[in-house]
Amino acid sequence: MHSSIGLDGDFKVKTALERTKVEDIFSYEGCKVGRGTYGHVYKAKRKDGSDTREYALKLIEGTGISMSACREIALLRELRHPNVINLQKVFLSMSDRKVWLLFDYAEHDLWHIIKFHRAAKQSKKLVSTPTSMVKSLLHQILDGIRYLHHNWVLHRDLKPANILVMGDGAERGRVKIADMGFARLFNCPLKSFADLDPVVVTFWYRAPELLLGARHYTKAIDIWAIGCIFAELLTSEPIFHCRQEDIKVSNPYHREQLDKIFNVMGYPNERDWEDIKCMPEYSQMTKEFKKQNFHNLSLTKYSEKHKIKADGAAFALLSKMLIMDPTKRLTSDEALKDPYFSEDPQPTSDVFHGFAIPYAKREFITDDEEKEDPSKTAAAPSTVTIPSTAAGPSNDVSHNQRPAVKKIKLEPGQPGHGHDYHGHQAMHGHSGQSASSSSIASNNAGPSRNYPAQQQQPRY
Amino acid sequence: MAGNFWLSSHFQQWLFDRQDLIRERQEDYQVLTEEEYQKVMIFFANVMQAIGEPLKMKQQVIATATIYFKRFYIRNSLSSVDPLLMAPTCLFLASKVDEFGVQSNNRFIEVCRNVVKTKFGYAFQQEFQYRMPNIFECEFYLLEMMDCCLIVFHPYRPLVQFCQELGTSLDKKDQHQQDLILQTAWKTINDTLRTDICLLYPPYLVALACMQVACIILGKDFKQWFAELSVDIDKCVEVVKLILNLYDMWKTFDEKKEIPALLAKIPKPKSSPR
Repeated sequence: MHSSIGLDGDFKVKTALERTKVEDIFSYEGCKVGRGTYGHVYKAKRKDGSDTREYALKLIEGTGISMSACREIALLRELRHPNVINLQKVFLSMSDRKVWLLFDYAEHDLWHIIKFHRAAKQSKKLVSTPTSMVKSLLHQILDGIRYLHHNWVLHRDLKPANILVMGDGAERGRVKIADMGFARLFNCPLKSFADLDPVVVTFWYRAPELLLGARHYTKAIDIWAIGCIFAELLTSEPIFHCRQEDIKVSNPYHREQLDKIFNVMGYPNERDWEDIKCMPEYSQMTKEFKKQNFHNLSLTKYSEKHKIKADGAAFALLSKMLIMDPTKRLTSDEALKDPYFSEDPQPTSDVFHGFAIPYAKREFITDDEEKEDPSKTAAAPSTVTIPSTAAGPSNDVSHNQRPAVKKIKLEPGQPGHGHDYHGHQAMHGHSGQSASSSSIASNNAGPSRNYPAQQQQPRY
Repeated sequence: MAGNFWLSSHFQQWLFDRQDLIRERQEDYQVLTEEEYQKVMIFFANVMQAIGEPLKMKQQVIATATIYFKRFYIRNSLSSVDPLLMAPTCLFLASKVDEFGVQSNNRFIEVCRNVVKTKFGYAFQQEFQYRMPNIFECEFYLLEMMDCCLIVFHPYRPLVQFCQELGTSLDKKDQHQQDLILQTAWKTINDTLRTDICLLYPPYLVALACMQVACIILGKDFKQWFAELSVDIDKCVEVVKLILNLYDMWKTFDEKKEIPALLAKIPKPKSSPR
């Protein structure tokens, strides 16, 4: 340990006495519910029982105040909206230079919710995501994002795992947008975004302009991601699902992901997206893609195939969020005014609309499991038994894949990729290591693909 | 967060009135007069500016760091943490918040050493002795004392907006005056960082006051335009007075002569508890 110079001894003693220690206030041992490059998340309760609420404690990976921790704390300290995760307190542990963030506990997230419905669909149990719930979810996501955008904050990494939903309790069925670690101010870019985080948004939810090398993040990029989530809620399948092994992290251009988008949306023509010619990777794209390979494809066709009514309000709104040209995409303000939300059923503040919640509670991760033991016993009290299929179409870990590297720039001291543990299935691969996932499509005899395992733990 | 200042931690937790400041600084005012305290603050603001410039930090980052520094010493006496350690720590943290980040820790320390040696050698007997572990440790205390409030609002953005508004009210032939006022007022904002103004008044008011000072300096008269704004003119005048006071004090402030004696008055932190 370095000698502590410049700090007064009495000052250190005095502040140590005044400081509340996280371990004195909260019990959380053995209650880990999430693990990732970002750190650990624990389900916690107050030791003194002064309230019986559940909290989420996030222990930030590494020591000290990394740039992303810094941004996260700076922004969360200011943000306050019912649909944005609320930072209650920061605990700074001087002795080990650890940073803990305290949040309200959210029992569910869209990753698990969609997975539940997808499994039900595959086992022909037909528990489709209730249409009223989809609408309420989307409304609250848009409300939270509108707030962030009005405050000049971009999320940049919206995906189902980052959309939390509160379980039974005071805020039952309320959406909480989480994982703002990469959110940043963008009204005064001191540095171009591309220089800071070369790849940020998970590929499946990445807007086409990002894949074509756009240098600056925009609000429209978040809207695209919400459009993708909306589609996924409607069909229980990721709309732009893509294999991962070809991803080159350092390069924003991603042929396969673009191919995926064009296969749904059709090839972008310059009439609809005038500025596409100005995209840094435009020439690369024209070299690698042939327009004629994508003729007769459109979001309408995709929707028909997936039983989204093409004349319905949901599709009308979806098609305005998934517009290739970012300048033509809806804003969150416009989306919230869409007729979809004014026609019945109206969105509700409890997305479950008072119905019993069929989704399992989060399970605890033990440290043994973290060491890649895929079998696990649920330590969490579970009021609802979920169908066995809800654990995923396959329990064979090698068939699961992650969509993308969550975090490209690992802070020094962060664990390597293989350390990530992902709930029901132990995830061995990060992008570069997920070659085993190539069998994903052939593994499933059913009409649809295996559900891809990505971030399935709460990310606050 | 450039959203709503009135909902920000800056507004809700970090604006004070003069009496608050006097009370919080009681311990320091036992060894320094109010004016001496301000001179020490000016000196360390200069130290931060001098370290930030070779590191190519943006003015906004340096401004944020300067406010962090002031915030820390509102809550703590100058003897709790050596200001010479706190000054670079504030820059280090501010650079992460404003997303520039220091490019290299080694270079950061090297610049601190060089600047202290070449520009402020008159004030310090010793070389700059701190290394990154000291900065890291200090950073935790800084963050804790600021209650994790890292986003600071500055008058620069409102200034630009006000100048644009002023510009639209001007005749075509007078449009260039808008730029002149912007430039002069911008520098005046930098000067306000050498005072308590940023702890006492919201940034939009500081921006307007700096525009008024710019008008005085440039001999312009836009009374009509100011009058039409729905702002508390009295408060604005208070800020103008504080700025003019600073300029008055600067005329006679000889840093090289006065600072060593002032620093000597501040008790040094003791590494072990007394």
